[in-house]
Amino acid sequence: MNRSRGAPLRWYGVASWQVTLGLALLALGFLIAAQLQSAVPRTSYTSQERAPLVQTALGLQSQQDQLKQNLLDLRTQVQDVENRGPGSDAAVRQVNDDLGRVRISAGLIALHGGGLVIQLEDSTEPVPPGANESDYRVTAADVRTVVEELWLAGAEAVAVNTERVTGSSAILDIGGSVLVNSAYLAPPYQVAAIGSADLYATMSGAPSFVDFVRARAGPSGIRISFAQPGDVAVPAYAGAVNLRYGRPVESTAPAVGPSASAVP
Amino acid sequence: MSHSMRATRNSISVALVAVVLGLLLVVQFRAQSSGNALDALSATELTDLVANLNTRNDQLRTEITATRAQLDALVSAQARGDTSLGQLQADLSKIRAWAGLLPVTGPGIQVTIAGRIPGIAVQDLLNELRNAGAESYAVDGVRVVSGSVVAGPAGAISIEDTSLGDPFEVDAIGNAATLTGSLTRAGGIVARLKATFPDVQLTVTPVDRLELPATTRSLVPGHGQPRL
Repeated sequence: MNRSRGAPLRWYGVASWQVTLGLALLALGFLIAAQLQSAVPRTSYTSQERAPLVQTALGLQSQQDQLKQNLLDLRTQVQDVENRGPGSDAAVRQVNDDLGRVRISAGLIALHGGGLVIQLEDSTEPVPPGANESDYRVTAADVRTVVEELWLAGAEAVAVNTERVTGSSAILDIGGSVLVNSAYLAPPYQVAAIGSADLYATMSGAPSFVDFVRARAGPSGIRISFAQPGDVAVPAYAGAVNLRYGRPVESTAPAVGPSASAVP
Repeated sequence: MSHSMRATRNSISVALVAVVLGLLLVVQFRAQSSGNALDALSATELTDLVANLNTRNDQLRTEITATRAQLDALVSAQARGDTSLGQLQADLSKIRAWAGLLPVTGPGIQVTIAGRIPGIAVQDLLNELRNAGAESYAVDGVRVVSGSVVAGPAGAISIEDTSLGDPFEVDAIGNAATLTGSLTRAGGIVARLKATFPDVQLTVTPVDRLELPATTRSLVPGHGQPRL
């Protein structure tokens, strides 16, 4: 430093507008940095292999919607033709009645009636540093828990968004989203259930459901809400009803449900 | 420069900075709550999703072909004045077996579980079996159908009001090699359950012929009406 010894230091006064401008520029800098940082993974996500995959997934999902509709239409046509069958034949009439009932029991027919809709939404709370981000999102395990609690409370038909839950429905995580019956469902997740008027009272009184709400809504802020509309609709299962490995055993049919013994 | 001119210029500067600040805030906010959920998936997750969608679409196409053949056969049988009773009975049996209303027999796997395990962990195992393509399942001789849940804390689990013993078995009909591979792969459900419950022992055994009983549960809805 060349400043001669004894020379007085010069201090500059700072006007209030300069303080304001300085603070604003500081915030601007922070935001630009945050913007750049958050833009980095998205840039890499949208590059090269990812964009065609998103297009493929969207295309397949739209194909699936069309295929499901085709299948449901065909099933309706099969039922119509069956019902037009020779009405005088008692055996045919009996099997047709059994088919009608068993399709309802198997979830192949859409139902409506009194019930309950539970909605699960991701948390809107900021994820604290060091916390697991997935704790703040609705996961397949959350959806499974709600479905299971509804079954335990006595629900007789359950659907998640557009997908009917059957005995063979898997509910899986793919990244931050949920697959039901291998269909990709976007949040929020609405679990609709048909059941008795006390379905909600039974479910909300179950210790396991109370524990679930405490664990997920409490610290992570997953939003769990419910509605009891006058009429709840659940769609038909639009998927394969196919046994490739198993064979039905007719001789020991159960007493419950349409009985094979009714067929001569 | 006059005092008023300088004040005006300062005001303009501050206003400009405020506008840019506002714009950036909006962009940042929108970026963090991105609309399309697919945007949040990585390339690997998208590949998984595409594989899942492909499998389901193939199953749907097969089912559509079979249903169309069934429809054609019904229509031509009726045109011939045939009652098509045999075909109706076959359709009835297939749906009843699929829904768990008839016993089924076939190859598959048996998972033996020994030790204290909570119901939710068994449900996770069943979910993996469903995902791996198992067709029918039973837990300790109780057929799993829509509405069946293995519930309760470790040491006191039950299904359909039937307490499960220790050890107990989960039987699943399907492709034994695929089911075994899915459950026992590195990072699969067996490894995860063993890590979470170190005292629990899980053994997966391929079986040539399993016989699963029909459910004793009524699947006839008492509150829901068919939506026609």
